Amino acid sequence: MARRSFDIRRLPGAATLAITCFVILYIPLVILVVNSLNAGKAINVWEGISLRWYATALQNEGFLNAASTSLILAATAALVATVTATMAALATTRSKGFRGEGTINLVLNQPLMVPEIVLAIALLIILAQVKQVTGYTGLWYLIIAHSAFCIPFAYMPVRARLQGMDLTLETAASDLYASRFYTFRKVTLPLLAPAVLAGFMLAFVVSLDDVVISEFLKSPGQDTLPTYLLGQLRRNLTSEIYAISSLLLLISVLIVAGSWLLTRKKT
Amino acid sequence: MLDIRDLTKSFGKGDSTVTALHEVSFTIAEGEFFTLLGPSGCGKTTLLRLIAGFEPPSGGALVLDGQDIAQMPPNRRPVNTVFQNYALFPHMTVAQNVGFALGAQGRPKDEIARTVARMLDLVQLGHLAHRKSGELSGGQQQRVALARALAPKPRILLLDEPLSALDMKLRKEMQVELKRLQQETGLTFIFVTHDQEEALTMSDRIAVMSGGRIQQIATPRELYDQPANRFVAGFIGESNFLDASCAHGKLVLPQAGAPLPVTHPDGPVTLMVRPEHVFLGPAPGAGLSVPARVERLVYFGTDTHVHLMLADGAGLVARVQNALRGGAPCAEGDAISITLPADALRLLPKEAA
Ligand SMILES: Nc1ncnc2c1ncn2[C@@H]1O[C@H](COP(=O)(O)OP(=O)(O)OP(=O)(O)O)[C@@H](O)[C@H]1O
Ligand SMILES: [Mg+2]
Repeated sequence: MARRSFDIRRLPGAATLAITCFVILYIPLVILVVNSLNAGKAINVWEGISLRWYATALQNEGFLNAASTSLILAATAALVATVTATMAALATTRSKGFRGEGTINLVLNQPLMVPEIVLAIALLIILAQVKQVTGYTGLWYLIIAHSAFCIPFAYMPVRARLQGMDLTLETAASDLYASRFYTFRKVTLPLLAPAVLAGFMLAFVVSLDDVVISEFLKSPGQDTLPTYLLGQLRRNLTSEIYAISSLLLLISVLIVAGSWLLTRKKT
Repeated sequence: MLDIRDLTKSFGKGDSTVTALHEVSFTIAEGEFFTLLGPSGCGKTTLLRLIAGFEPPSGGALVLDGQDIAQMPPNRRPVNTVFQNYALFPHMTVAQNVGFALGAQGRPKDEIARTVARMLDLVQLGHLAHRKSGELSGGQQQRVALARALAPKPRILLLDEPLSALDMKLRKEMQVELKRLQQETGLTFIFVTHDQEEALTMSDRIAVMSGGRIQQIATPRELYDQPANRFVAGFIGESNFLDASCAHGKLVLPQAGAPLPVTHPDGPVTLMVRPEHVFLGPAPGAGLSVPARVERLVYFGTDTHVHLMLADGAGLVARVQNALRGGAPCAEGDAISITLPADALRLLPKEAA
């Protein structure tokens, strides 16, 4: 008889453990969304379904400001990160091994390894100085910091796609009189586009979701959606916060699903 | 037109160096169907990649129309390739694939459209112009790859085993089609294959390669009738080899009766004879008469292979056509006398085994 290969599904208790984890992960989210739809004012008394708190949120100046800051920040940072990551991925996959290639990989993926709080404190020390000297208190500090830690998220799908791409396509293009740039524009980039878009979306969600770095680096009066929510929580837990959180959840889920659809292999 | 001189290619450095081509030299004429034939790993693809410019040579010259192109990048060389896996651009339609080179050259749109239409007609795919290339059958992809490489009117078309991914029937059709295309366009083809039948039926000339060296360049008929060495004789068709020697203008085969007069320098030689030339029984005309025993008869439909054993244990195969009535002229176990006709004998340099 052939020996069966190891199957994690047959490990005693594995299924129970997995189900418990899923329940712990998802039940709170369900409760959150249900609560956001509560018509009543008190959060622990159910008074029927209504979109009342969503309407309230959408009229709240503070929320709207924070939301627009977050969206601008996420879009800009994701764009910068995606462009940088794409160029880096091209360099590490399309040129023959060069000195310092390993170092580049390490540097690019540093945000995945360094604890975020450490990075935030380090950045704070420098940027506080810069703020004092320049007097600039705008969004660019956050944009630069977010771009940096979003790079690995944009880098991973792009690099994976480049590594999986058939190199003879680029050889064929060069055989057919295409310059390097023409090949990139007409062959490499169109084939890479889904991965680039997926990388952009991942970076967007990661930036949208960030609390620690934003909380440390934001200038007074500046708020992103997560830091705004954090501020509100310190006062009072209201159904409006549930509604805002649900909105954030909805956007993230939509974008992540979109990115998944883009990178999914066609079969 | 294309002059290849002492072309050498090595991969790797130091101890791990692999030399894929050893000082290969030959000249290809305008309009020729030239085939590179050889076993796997003999350097056919490497030679093609050097001609296309995908790889720089380690030494030697590549002269096209009087100009050395060895250092020219591939997108400047008037040479196009049909890749073994076709390498069609999956995000483009058939028409966009075929028009790619012209677009890269910056030709006007209407000219591109006209050329693409003409090329698709040439390969009989006009009706599929707007399909995505991934939605085609293997044979259709093959034709698109061909049209794409032909569209910019290259001086030379390089084809790396273009038919190997097709099934037998389609393969035969494409062989005819390719030959027709080559004759219609008058283009120079360099065709790579490891299928000797394909090479023999299609080529004007064939270069037989082995171990990164050219063994012989000749027309298919010459290659079959006058192989330069034992490798070529064994690779193209079937052959019998016997050890013999030449002395004082006579060919001496130890197992045979009387020696045969030849004009060949003295010394040991390898005697080669094709199975279809071995004559069972005494034959008219000059030849070596050898006693042999019939070991085995193998029936092949059109003919029968007669496996023979000579006095010293050497084996020999004869092929006799099956007549309408009656079988082979001998039976297993018979002791007979065979004749190796003088005009069918080839003397090859003896090589260390
Ligand atoms: N990039 C490379 N690096 C190292 N060695 C290589 C490289 N390309 C080819 N070779 C070696 O060169 C030799 C010739 O290879 P090549 O691909 O030209 O053979 P081929 O005649 O095309 O064989 P096949 O019929 O299998 O396609 C082989 O020994 C191969 O291992
Ligand atoms: Mg090959």
